Amino acid sequence: MTSPGTTGSGAAGRIGAAELAAYVAGSRLFATGAAESAFSLAADWAGSVIGDGVEVVAAGDLPQDVRCVAVSLVGSTTALGELLPSGDEPARAVRALEGRLGGRAGAVVALNLAAENALIPLVAAAALGVPLVDGDGTGRVFPLVEQTTFALGGVPATPLALAGASGEVVVIDTAADRVEELLRPVVLSVGGWAVTACYPMCAGVLARVLVPGTVSRLLRAGAPGTARAVAAPYGVRTLCRGRILAVEGSTGHGAELALPSLPSSIVVRESGGLGRLVRLEAHNEIVLALADGAAVAMAPDQICMIAADGGTVVDVDKAAPGMEVEIMVVRAAPVWHTGPGLALGGPRAFGLPL
Amino acid sequence: MTVAELVDAGPLAGARMYGTGENPVHRVRIVDELSVLSTVTPHTAVVLIGAAAGGGWAVEMAMRRAWEQAAACVIAPSGGLSAGSGAVLAERLGVTLIFVDEDPLVTAVRVASAASRPEAARTQLVARCATRLAEAGTSARRVLGVLNAELPGTSVAFVDPYGQLLAGRAAGAAGHRPRDGGPAPEGRAGGGVLAEVAVPDRDGDALGTLVAGGAARSPGWPSVVRAVLGLAVAPLVAWAAAERLSASRDFVHQESLAERLLARHARPLEEGHGHAPESPRTADGEEPDEVRGRAAALGWAVRGPVTGFLVLPADGVTGAEAAGRAQAVIAATVGEAPVLRRGGGWAGWSAAAPDELAGRLARCVAAMPWPCAAGAGAAAVGLDGVGESLLGAEAAAFVAGPGRVARADRMGPAELLGALPAGVLKAPATVVLRPLLAVDKDGSLLETLAAVLDEGGALRAADRLGVHRNTVTARLERVRAAGFDLEDPASRLALQLACHVVLR
Repeated sequence: MTSPGTTGSGAAGRIGAAELAAYVAGSRLFATGAAESAFSLAADWAGSVIGDGVEVVAAGDLPQDVRCVAVSLVGSTTALGELLPSGDEPARAVRALEGRLGGRAGAVVALNLAAENALIPLVAAAALGVPLVDGDGTGRVFPLVEQTTFALGGVPATPLALAGASGEVVVIDTAADRVEELLRPVVLSVGGWAVTACYPMCAGVLARVLVPGTVSRLLRAGAPGTARAVAAPYGVRTLCRGRILAVEGSTGHGAELALPSLPSSIVVRESGGLGRLVRLEAHNEIVLALADGAAVAMAPDQICMIAADGGTVVDVDKAAPGMEVEIMVVRAAPVWHTGPGLALGGPRAFGLPL
Repeated sequence: MTVAELVDAGPLAGARMYGTGENPVHRVRIVDELSVLSTVTPHTAVVLIGAAAGGGWAVEMAMRRAWEQAAACVIAPSGGLSAGSGAVLAERLGVTLIFVDEDPLVTAVRVASAASRPEAARTQLVARCATRLAEAGTSARRVLGVLNAELPGTSVAFVDPYGQLLAGRAAGAAGHRPRDGGPAPEGRAGGGVLAEVAVPDRDGDALGTLVAGGAARSPGWPSVVRAVLGLAVAPLVAWAAAERLSASRDFVHQESLAERLLARHARPLEEGHGHAPESPRTADGEEPDEVRGRAAALGWAVRGPVTGFLVLPADGVTGAEAAGRAQAVIAATVGEAPVLRRGGGWAGWSAAAPDELAGRLARCVAAMPWPCAAGAGAAAVGLDGVGESLLGAEAAAFVAGPGRVARADRMGPAELLGALPAGVLKAPATVVLRPLLAVDKDGSLLETLAAVLDEGGALRAADRLGVHRNTVTARLERVRAAGFDLEDPASRLALQLACHVVLR
């Protein structure tokens, strides 16, 4: 396995119609929360606009002062499958942000590369005719817009533009810690999902704060016959294989916390080895893994369940007793393991006082 | 004091425990956040509150850290962790986990108090039971009330030898197997039988059994339950004795009890739908049955094969005082049995088979202050059939004659004829037959008439008498000439009866 890409290591290549399949497959390797119809829709959308392809460049290879914007889907992926996009949402969002800031965006970067969120920035880059930066703002996926390495690097998410499927455009300009609070009701009122353009910054700053090389890594990992671990730049380990015993509601996650979904708890009995009792504490995503009561993995590392049959990532909401799963832990980018990184994406960010 | 003892008999009574609970408890530590656990010392009962009990994950992490610190047990509010994974983890780590329903802070204070006085808790439970049993006196209902109130998480039932609930909670007897081999109910909630203690009556026979059911929360719990049940035996024996004493003092009291028992069992018989031997209203009743309970205290047979009997005084002795004396004699000779006034005598039923019962009735008849006859009915399958058995007993007693015992199941037409009051009927029979007797100088006409009626024809009558059939025909002509119409069925029966009485 190669080491993670560095910020200025030459052209990463191009995503054309031929590479799209690998990119699509790579985006699912560790991604949870994907609704099947919405994901197919996003993949078809990307296929319909890819044309001659989108150039993938390392942030360091762009001129320092080129403005880059992060593009992502916000809201519910299920809603995306039910309220179809008109097709110009990514472009409208980026144009609205340009209108607020003055000047054009020269490149698009993904906020994260999980499922649809890898594809919408690609659609935006194709629609705007700009390159896609090889890297992203998390190295994994987090539920909140402000949970990014960009924010850790001091770049604010705002001003932020939203484009909804019915032609709405909303620009939000507020303090960093108010973004999620303002964003969520707006997303609901435009139909449950929207495309956002945010974190405007110049390429020089982006090269410092992004998790680099992740787009080209997905392209490699998504190629047929490649090991899943290739998609994890900082390493991945298998916690255990086992059978889900119970899925329970959970408590003790801090009442004041405002995350999109309710906490739950998945109890897994390890099939081989020590036969441990593994508890996966989930709040939007799996935040903590206990084996016989001992913490063996927790956020900001990404914990996911891979179905034993089919090899797809099992969504927390779809976990059911009796399922055979493999529990894998994807190590987060080093910046997430710093003090500020843990504060933003560690267990306390999910309400667990650990 | 071990964890198990805290749960069995002490301040945690009624809590759910997972794990062996064999670790000794020396002190208590209240833990409100997980980091505190790193300072917990061995043999500590860890009481989780606040954030440390805030969710399944927190309780599991606390159990893990308690195990690392060799704590005695983890006490958590119920609902914090699902029982299933709690049990699995308790077993895997060897850490005892206890769920309590009350405020954990209250629990902590009580555990601390018990830990400082280790020997007291178990003794306290037993002593408290003894005191409250003494207050309950000789009432089966109150005794069982005390047992069920003082033994937490445990249901206690008092059942008769047939497995019927006399007092207490039906759930307690769920796993009990009665002595008549009936199948123990399966699949009832609350676990199996924790303890069983036999309650003898004053003669040493089985009066009933105290059965405690529920989940064995720890290895030591059944022995505690058994000790407490043992305390209840004496009050229950006294209860039965008191019931018997009052029944023997008051004939009417026990008679009305017997009538009520019979009445409730009579209904299926009258409906005639071939019910099971036991009345469905009582067979598996969940409620303790007061009538049944008192009958059991008196030692009466209330189930299984029973045989009815009737003791019949020759000279029509009646009245409550005589009945009381008769009841005393019956109790002394036949055994504990209900006594009811029936058909001019005293009826009852017994668990003894007709053979055995006839023997006892013979002793009874001999011991009675008045000349008496007695009859034993046929064996009935249960109390449903005792009415039929009593009818047989009545008939048998009527047939038996003073000083004797007859059995309905051995009774035929000969016995019926034998029971005819020949002395009473002799005069009317003579009057009826007078026209014949007037012409019958040597008695041959009467003899021939009897033979023809008994044998049903002249030919066989001739055989019996050893005469020619023409002789019989000739004599019958003379009988007819005396005014008797042998073709009329009513006349024939009356004549046959009259011949029987006169010739006997």
